[in-house]
Amino acid sequence: MKKWTAALVIGALAVTAAGCGNANGEGSTSGLPKAGVAIYKFDDTFMSGVRNAIETAAEGKMAVDIVDSQNSQPTQNDKVDLFITKKVKAMSVNPVDRTAAGIIIDKAQKANIPVVFINREPLADDLAKWDKALFVGAKAEESGTMEGEIVAEYWKSHPEADKNGDGILQYVMLKGEPGHQDAELRTKFSVQAIQDAGIQVEKLAEDTAMWDRVKGQEKMAAFLASKGDQIEAVIANNDDMALGAIEALKAAGYFKDNKFMPVVGVDATDPAQQALKEGTLLGTVLNDAANQGKATVELMRVLAEGETPTKENTGFEITDGKYVWIPYKKVTEASK
Amino acid sequence: MEAAKSLKIKNAFSQNAIWIVLVALILIIAIIDANFLSITTLRDMLVQSSTRTIIALGAAFVLITAGTDLSAGRVVGLSAVVSASMLQMPDYASKFFPNLPQLSLIIPIAIAIIVGLLVGLLNGVIVAKFNVPPFIATLGTMVAVYGANSLYFDMPPNNSQPIGGLRKDFTEIGTGAIGSGQFSLPYIVLIAIFVAFIVWVVFNKTRLGKNMYAIGGNIQAAHVSGINVARNLMWIYAIAGALYGLAGVLEAARTGGASNNYGNMYELDAIAACVVGGVSTTGGVGRVKGIIAGVLIFTVINYGLTYIGINPNWQLIIKGLIIVVAVAFDIRKYVAKK
Repeated sequence: MKKWTAALVIGALAVTAAGCGNANGEGSTSGLPKAGVAIYKFDDTFMSGVRNAIETAAEGKMAVDIVDSQNSQPTQNDKVDLFITKKVKAMSVNPVDRTAAGIIIDKAQKANIPVVFINREPLADDLAKWDKALFVGAKAEESGTMEGEIVAEYWKSHPEADKNGDGILQYVMLKGEPGHQDAELRTKFSVQAIQDAGIQVEKLAEDTAMWDRVKGQEKMAAFLASKGDQIEAVIANNDDMALGAIEALKAAGYFKDNKFMPVVGVDATDPAQQALKEGTLLGTVLNDAANQGKATVELMRVLAEGETPTKENTGFEITDGKYVWIPYKKVTEASK
Repeated sequence: MEAAKSLKIKNAFSQNAIWIVLVALILIIAIIDANFLSITTLRDMLVQSSTRTIIALGAAFVLITAGTDLSAGRVVGLSAVVSASMLQMPDYASKFFPNLPQLSLIIPIAIAIIVGLLVGLLNGVIVAKFNVPPFIATLGTMVAVYGANSLYFDMPPNNSQPIGGLRKDFTEIGTGAIGSGQFSLPYIVLIAIFVAFIVWVVFNKTRLGKNMYAIGGNIQAAHVSGINVARNLMWIYAIAGALYGLAGVLEAARTGGASNNYGNMYELDAIAACVVGGVSTTGGVGRVKGIIAGVLIFTVINYGLTYIGINPNWQLIIKGLIIVVAVAFDIRKYVAKK
């Protein structure tokens, strides 16, 4: 029995190793400068987009090794140590916890390996510690603002959207993970933008659906049951939850016979684009994964050559020598 | 006389404690907001309980044999992704398989359920043939299945993007209903009821069911009395896997999409529903009726507390309390017996 087990384990390892070997062996990357990229977790939809963009942008420029930090900061630190041991020329980290960036910068500085943070902004004090620590990302509040603007534009151009005619916009909010910077900022700034457009608002309900489509649907069903026709707009912190809400709305008879509900999300995922086309989703906001990935690779390339990144050698505007801000874009059926 | 009477009441109470808790919960919510008692809310809750019931019934098979199955949630995710990947609209812009012809509905669904069954069978083999404790065996498959699902999900051209644009005939299974308006009966609820009935038959009227209770009650005794424990266990894990597979298909149909994080942590919800519903974690005890009540309790908490606008963090605290209190009550029943 023991021998059998041993044979099985060895066999399994051999097969796995062979499989992995194949996966890493694609394309010729020898001779290119090596770079390591640690993503906070691989099953995040948006970061998967950035990951693909990094791979595409790096072709012929750098040999990138992209790893999964499994949503655990200790795991990510281990991966960073591994990059340092492998003597990569530059690395890029999408922090699990933004406050942990300080320690990563210390490690990187000690090994003199430039580090580019992506998507989750380290604290300014940490980033100031070393001139070869930079950040590529979007201003989270901007996505919320744009979401709010989409709702405000709709409200102003569609008087019938004020179902009860009281001049106040009654909305429900589907939030992402509580405490998540994006969730808090999008929630705050989407409402802010509507108010800034001169519209009075009233929050009927707010609950977390954890960025999740299934939960978005379930929470929306509960909102509909308790608030029903009072709801005049649905604001979701991301598209997955917005699409879940749309399913619940469909079940309640919306999106047919002139019964409409403005629903907005963020991310502009493929299913969201489809929903725009079908006329169920009012609008979404694109967090530009392609340019975030491209900027990350360009910064790593320039830094790996020992140069200082500038607009000329990277193609991206660099603010304070530290930040590359990639703007969000509004996506509605009309804007396409 | 008085004592006997009070004992009788006590017994009736402890036998039906779970239903009393369920009704009490609904009443409390209804007192806070009377509109809660309506056909719409009832139907919403039944819909939201449907897939959870199927998963919990699968988990119950394993729990009753004194095992446990941590792979449930990840199998749900795998089968959701597998079925969705083959059921996209032909003109959808970003298809998982761009050149896949329009398949008959039953093929992708069957494939997804069989995938679930095979993972379950693998669990059964590891537990029954290699004598790995179920907790560890299914922990292993839980992790590995997620890895396999993520690999599949990451295949070009999909590259880890959520799978959307599902065919209407497929989503109809999850969102459609017999009749319309107030008195409609969603298909997904009917499917859950049908599955519950089949499981009830298996538990109560088949040799496999009897063997299951026997193995969970005392595995040595079952062995000695001539039950082929290994074979029964493999069947049981395989059936559980197939049920998770079915649940995954329904989750995809219900939400009109899928991604690899579907089903995350569902195993814990399922196990919680089972134990609250009177399934003993030490094996040998558990009834379909109780499991359904357990699932309903958690749906009422999820849905009802959102309905009346309770802070989501309080919802978690209430959920935790109910798990512990329900099991503490339940254990007393058996302690008293011994």
